Amino acid sequence: MHNASKAIDNGRKNNDWTLILSEFDKLSTSVSKATTGFDKMPFPKFYIKLLVDLDQDIQEATQKDKASKKKTNAANGKALNNMKIKVKKLSKQYEQMIKEYTKDPEAFMAEDEPSETPVSVKQVVTSEKPVGDEKQPDLDGFATVGKDGKAKTEQPQAAPDNKPVLVRLREIMESRGKKNTDREAQTSALEALLHRSTSSFQKIMVLLALIASRFDLTIGSTTAMDIKNWKAVQNEVNLILEIIEADPSFVVCEDADELDNDDQDVVPTKGQVVKVRGSVIGVIERLDEEFIKSLQAIDPHTPDYIDRLRDEPSLYALLVRAQAYFEKHNLAQSIPRVIVRRLDHLYYKPEQVIRSIETASKQLLPASVEVKSIVASSPDQLIHELCTYLYNQPTSMFRTRAMLCHIFHFALHNQFHKARDMLLMSHLQESIHQADVATQILYNRAVVQIGLSAFRQGLIKEAHSCLQEIQGTGRAKELLAQGIQQNRYGQQQVSPELEQLERQRQLPFHMHINLELLECVFLTCSMLLEIPGQAQTGPNSKKFISKPFRRLLDFNERQAFTGPPENTRDHIMSAAKALASGEWERARDYILAIKVWDLLPDTDAIKAMLVRKIQEEGLRTYLFTYASYYSTLGLSQLSTMFDLPAQTISSIVAKLIWNEELSASLDQVSQCVVLHQVELSRVQELALQFSEKAANLVDQNERLAAPPVRNDAQKVSN
Amino acid sequence: MSTQYDVTMRMIPFLDRHLIYPLLSFLELNEVYNVDDLLKAQYELVADTNMVDFIIESYKKINKTDQVPKELNEKREKVLAQLEDMQVKAQKVMSVLEQPEVVAALRQDNGQNLEDLKKSYNITEEMIDVLYEFGQLQYSCGRYGGAADMLYHFRVLSNDHGRCLSASWGKMAAEILEGNWDAALEEIQYLREIIDQKNFTAPLQQLQQRTWLIHWSLFVFFNHPKGRDGIVDLFFAPAYLNTIQTTCPWILRYLATAVVVNRRRKTQMKELVKIIEQEGYEYRDPVTEFIEALFIKFDFEDAQKKLKECEYVLSHDFFLAATEEDFMENARQFISETYCRIHQKINIKEMCQTLNLDQEEGEKWIVNLIRDTRVDAKIDFEENTVVMNTPVTSVYQQVIERTKGLSFRSQVLASAIKRREQAAQQDVSAQ
Repeated sequence: MHNASKAIDNGRKNNDWTLILSEFDKLSTSVSKATTGFDKMPFPKFYIKLLVDLDQDIQEATQKDKASKKKTNAANGKALNNMKIKVKKLSKQYEQMIKEYTKDPEAFMAEDEPSETPVSVKQVVTSEKPVGDEKQPDLDGFATVGKDGKAKTEQPQAAPDNKPVLVRLREIMESRGKKNTDREAQTSALEALLHRSTSSFQKIMVLLALIASRFDLTIGSTTAMDIKNWKAVQNEVNLILEIIEADPSFVVCEDADELDNDDQDVVPTKGQVVKVRGSVIGVIERLDEEFIKSLQAIDPHTPDYIDRLRDEPSLYALLVRAQAYFEKHNLAQSIPRVIVRRLDHLYYKPEQVIRSIETASKQLLPASVEVKSIVASSPDQLIHELCTYLYNQPTSMFRTRAMLCHIFHFALHNQFHKARDMLLMSHLQESIHQADVATQILYNRAVVQIGLSAFRQGLIKEAHSCLQEIQGTGRAKELLAQGIQQNRYGQQQVSPELEQLERQRQLPFHMHINLELLECVFLTCSMLLEIPGQAQTGPNSKKFISKPFRRLLDFNERQAFTGPPENTRDHIMSAAKALASGEWERARDYILAIKVWDLLPDTDAIKAMLVRKIQEEGLRTYLFTYASYYSTLGLSQLSTMFDLPAQTISSIVAKLIWNEELSASLDQVSQCVVLHQVELSRVQELALQFSEKAANLVDQNERLAAPPVRNDAQKVSN
Repeated sequence: MSTQYDVTMRMIPFLDRHLIYPLLSFLELNEVYNVDDLLKAQYELVADTNMVDFIIESYKKINKTDQVPKELNEKREKVLAQLEDMQVKAQKVMSVLEQPEVVAALRQDNGQNLEDLKKSYNITEEMIDVLYEFGQLQYSCGRYGGAADMLYHFRVLSNDHGRCLSASWGKMAAEILEGNWDAALEEIQYLREIIDQKNFTAPLQQLQQRTWLIHWSLFVFFNHPKGRDGIVDLFFAPAYLNTIQTTCPWILRYLATAVVVNRRRKTQMKELVKIIEQEGYEYRDPVTEFIEALFIKFDFEDAQKKLKECEYVLSHDFFLAATEEDFMENARQFISETYCRIHQKINIKEMCQTLNLDQEEGEKWIVNLIRDTRVDAKIDFEENTVVMNTPVTSVYQQVIERTKGLSFRSQVLASAIKRREQAAQQDVSAQ
């Protein structure tokens, strides 16, 4: 410190403000360090003296500056200004002392002198400081301190064996989280310590510290933990659980008091339960997150990804084991959290996979581990029990997630009605906008899955309305967290932070819902609804059932040359055009040529369903389009044309007639459809439209006039 | 077939013990289930009630003895004593309530009533509660008339909201069992009002109460002369429709029957079809399948087949047995009407086959139909066909049709506005 003040004095003599500024900074930080904290020394008086002197100098300097502007160079001037601000600030801080000093400088300084020498603590500090200060010319403050810290850890490593385990542990823990600690060295020190620890208490304490230090190894929230480390943590968590399962006198929980054992080993007497502070659930949740992060980071098309996925059963087993432990010790806070994690690992899996992961995890666990609250063995029962447990939780977040996972599971297993009813009864649609993003993603996934399941069962309309919500927006990728939307031209660039967040949200590849299949299903449904609808209302109608489909179709029609279809979308567009012109066979061939169908289970059944739908919709389209050109149509001819039994034909036609969609009637004697429809002339069509609009106008007028009547009545009564 | 479509089992959880009894005895008559099982069920049903005589009787029937166990006799004594005891207690209040001037003074406000009675006749709240307990006891003993009476008086005087509600339920059950359909219908309306109040406790409980109301009301609706209108009105109310869909889809059978039987309410058919189509995966029986075949699939043969099954189902249903004939007749009309609307030319012979009638009868039937439903049709004897004249509305007609009412409606609107303005002006001038 004194060195610095000397340097400042030098600077003052030479009028070198840059030097003064840098030295003053150093001095200020060391002063503030030295005067605060545990072993503080009395406030150095010379600092105050310096402040006052500097203040005078600055005033002089600025006056000089004003007199001759050119003299000072830019850097110096800048430093001077900075200095001015700093001194002003500091003088305010130490106002009292400055006043004392200005009153009687001699006495103030004299008082200081004797107090400096006798205190031994201060000597230590001062003797240490110069060591750092000596190096200052070539190293900045940061590095010096860093070196200091490093020396600290290295030294005990060299001679570790002398101290008791817990003392060493405390030492290591104290250096944790400090700027200068080398994390890897710390981890290996703890590993060594683990080998030396003998009692359960020691082991638990060391393990808890070790796990924490391993998590410290990965820096930043985006990079994934490396796999070796991850596995080590997993082993260690298993170890902890093993110890506390075997030794019931120790409980690791979050609300334990700090143990005050003076670094002595704790050996519980019989029946005594020692609570150790630590969070098993926290560690496990972190482990799970790291697993997902590493999956996000690995390219899903490499064998690495599959290798990584092989770790899932062991992670799942760990969750089950933790659950058993929580149940045994009644840690009510942790149970739902671990169950949610379990559910997250299961809900999107088909039945066989759930079964295999369950058996795999059972094999990994010792036989003594038993979960009481969830006992079911069949997959759907298991999901049911997990969800029911969560439904009984007071936190609505758990309930919502459980509900959505349950819905997803039902939809995945072809129980469309159950899934839909559950979704409707949960009234989630109204509140989902307020939920957190992860839950919204889950909701979107559930909705899409319901749509797919409706499609598999041949419920085209339902499938379309479910999928429209997501696919219709054109941002399915984003909404399902399966990729980041490319920036389109003219769109605003997304800020890097947002993009970072979005990347973190992405689901690992094995959980994805195939987007191409999704699009294919959606467009096929749209085709089956839109084409007959279009035929019914006429080509100029502006009523859309599916806007995105209509847009694609229009785009396709505008193209000058259309080659043979290449991708899924092309296939469906060609099929739609064929269907519109009544050629259902060509439409069928196009649709069946799409390869994505193979991804669906029961491909043949679904294809048969599709063919059937194409036939029916083809018939309807044909009737709508060509009704005005026929006066009668034979049922048998229609039957051969569309390859449908006459019974079905007549039932479809009857339905059209009954709903007044087609003005025709059946002739039972000659077995044909008699069509009454006449092509309207332009004037007639316009007249009809006009009359409709007039009726609308009157309707609207009535509606406008209606509410004030009620208000008036109230007013009158008032 | 026999038990497949029986919904009694599903309905029992939503009914009162006493109300289940008629259902069980109906089943006994039909011999659908094993008689012994039914007897046992009956015994268990009444075992918890205080209808001691009845318990003894069914005990005898099951065990085929004349010996009566001692505890039953004891129970009988106890119940009788209890009844007498309560009678005395309740008498105090009743004597006051039976005075004509008191009855005249009673008003809508329960709290006020109680205050008045307290002041002038010294009646306390405990005494009112006695009424409730006595009513309950009487009901449990099978004296429904007395129970209804007690509960009525209780309800007029009590302030206890929860007890009032259960008193209403009790009164309704008692009226049903007494066969007072008018009074029961009133109770339904009363209960419905209470349940539909917006601030009615938890939604789940509301749902449950609605389910009960739906089930209990079946007794009334299929026995009261105006019931068929009532059932359609009640069940088509959105809240109750939701209840049916969520908790008790088997009620759809009764709703469907009511709609078919109710000729005047044709518009409801479309709504019914929509619901049946929607709920097809949850519940189906011949009645709903009949509707499905006729109005969704338009498969007349299948409809005919289902109609035959309906006949059986209806005759074996406690509530619907009485409406069977009506239903068959109306269902047939529905079939032929739909058939005529879709077809232009019908062969009488085939038509008769689908309707299950011989030729002459069929002709008569068609003639009747033409007359009744005013279908524009003629019988061509030479070809033995019916020819429908489907009126083709020309475009001009359509335009005229659409614009016919417009000027009138506008006029009404204009005059309404004018009137309002005048009223407003008068208001201003009055002020």
